[in-house]
Amino acid sequence: MRTLTTLLAAGIFQFAASAHAEDIAVLTPYLSSVATNEMIETFKTESAAKGWTVNVVDTRGDFQQLASRVEDVANAGVKAIVLVSVDPNQIGDQVAAAADKGIPVIVLDGALAKGVAINITTDNFALGSLLSDYLFKAMGDKGNIVKFFHSAHPGVRQRELALDKALGEHPGIKVIAEHYVQVPGPIDNARQAMETFVRQYGDEINGVWAAWDEPAIGALLAIQSDKPDSKALIAGIDGNPQAIDLIKQCSNLVATVRQDFPGIARTAVKEIAAVIEGKKPEKSEIFVSANVIDRASLGVSCN
Amino acid sequence: MTLVSRFGTLLGLGVIVAVFSVLSPHGFAQGSNLINITQQMSLLAIVALGAAFVMSLSEFDLSIGAVVSMAGIVSVTLFGSGWGILATVIITLGAGFAVGCISGFFVAIWRVPSFIMTLAMGTIVGGMTFWVSGGATLFSNIPVGFRDIGRGYVGGIPVLTLWAVAGTLFVAFILDWTELGRRILAIGGNREAARLAGVGVVPATVWAFGLCTLMAALAGLLLTARLGSAHPTGGNGFLLQAYAAAYLGMTAFRDGQPNAAGTLLGAAIIAVVANGLTILGVPNYLQDIFTGLIIIASVMVRNFGRAAD
Repeated sequence: MRTLTTLLAAGIFQFAASAHAEDIAVLTPYLSSVATNEMIETFKTESAAKGWTVNVVDTRGDFQQLASRVEDVANAGVKAIVLVSVDPNQIGDQVAAAADKGIPVIVLDGALAKGVAINITTDNFALGSLLSDYLFKAMGDKGNIVKFFHSAHPGVRQRELALDKALGEHPGIKVIAEHYVQVPGPIDNARQAMETFVRQYGDEINGVWAAWDEPAIGALLAIQSDKPDSKALIAGIDGNPQAIDLIKQCSNLVATVRQDFPGIARTAVKEIAAVIEGKKPEKSEIFVSANVIDRASLGVSCN
Repeated sequence: MTLVSRFGTLLGLGVIVAVFSVLSPHGFAQGSNLINITQQMSLLAIVALGAAFVMSLSEFDLSIGAVVSMAGIVSVTLFGSGWGILATVIITLGAGFAVGCISGFFVAIWRVPSFIMTLAMGTIVGGMTFWVSGGATLFSNIPVGFRDIGRGYVGGIPVLTLWAVAGTLFVAFILDWTELGRRILAIGGNREAARLAGVGVVPATVWAFGLCTLMAALAGLLLTARLGSAHPTGGNGFLLQAYAAAYLGMTAFRDGQPNAAGTLLGAAIIAVVANGLTILGVPNYLQDIFTGLIIIASVMVRNFGRAAD
């Protein structure tokens, strides 16, 4: 106990001693999400090359904690605050207060709000449209889908709205079942829900629309376990490495819409460097492109 | 009870504050930051103070996190339906109080274990919260007047800090100065003996659970005012932290008994550690380990004090 405490204290002293003027605070409630993690890891790598010290804070879905930690880093006088996978409107006062202190607030994969210098993201509505159109076309514009969604995340909500629009344009597609995915733990949560749907609907399920890749993987695991002969096509969003691997394996997971998360993080580092140098951002919102990754784009033949 | 066991936790907080002040004199030790900590700890303190009611019964309420979330969603939904601030606050607090009363009723009458009853109630409340909100974060139609109850300052003191102080006085008053408080503590000490002594176990239990979730609902309202939004799972993070704060509080001032001042102290320790380590740039995982060690250390200090008696 004493040794552990000593080691911890030494660690804290080390962090205290290494803190310097170019501290960048990165805060998110969703560090365990693969996409969020990928953005933050790329950001850390690119920041290290600039000689910045990056402090990552994960509040594990707790927005009260997120608000408090934003206040903390603003009080500590960091050079910039980076919010990842957050709608800054959910902590509007804290973001505005940080901006009032002259600390630039940069948002990755989020939204614009008062006090936000730049939001760097992919157009989530466009992602949702891309996913829906791909899946519906692969299904031959008819059949039943299961929908996995998570409306609390503003970006994911936009994808859901895009699905609603696409459903209106494709009357042959019906949502036979839907599930609000719990976070953290989306893969297992989606898997459990899909197991129920598979038992309930069986071959009536022709497709699975997943608002991001982790529920898509959960749905695939359920199908592989409970109905391996299912012809249901599964598609998600994010370009999660595990999802890509499963597409290569010729599984029911046929596509993912790849957001360029490393690109988002690299753009953020570039913009922060400019802001630190005293330049004003040219745009308040920067959209990074996305593309569909499927068997064809991966050069995989599954016949 | 020795000085060590009685004031060891308070001394521990002093040591933590001193260490952070030395390590970060221009970040942590700023007056504005210390005031800010009192604001950051206030919601946790209010939830933990509520938990002290049921812990005084030697029971638990696992629905408090869900009630915090529910209060936020219910209030914003009511605002969206055109209800005024006062009516919304009363209805939301009433709903929170009712959740605890239902749990307390089942615990007291049918002797359902509080862990199971409140876990079930928390699950039901969580489900209803998702149903009402559609799973989305709600932002719209929150009146400015309502937001003012959870932000801003009065005489340089954050409004939330004043709420926490008021909550502490309220809980201290109930537990220490009223017949209800004495009944709750008597039941917590020995339920059967209390019953034989003529203590009304059922009403006191229902009141304790009701007051617990009433405090959670108040925290939910204040959280919504502070953030300007209501998240369907926004209160979940309070559950374990509130009990950690209440347990820390049980190590202070009174040996092994929940008390209002100690609970406030427990919340302060958790908030100071989170604030100080964040300012120092210490990674999350170390923060969790450090917080856990502090809880263990507090209990050990208390036990050393007992041994010395």
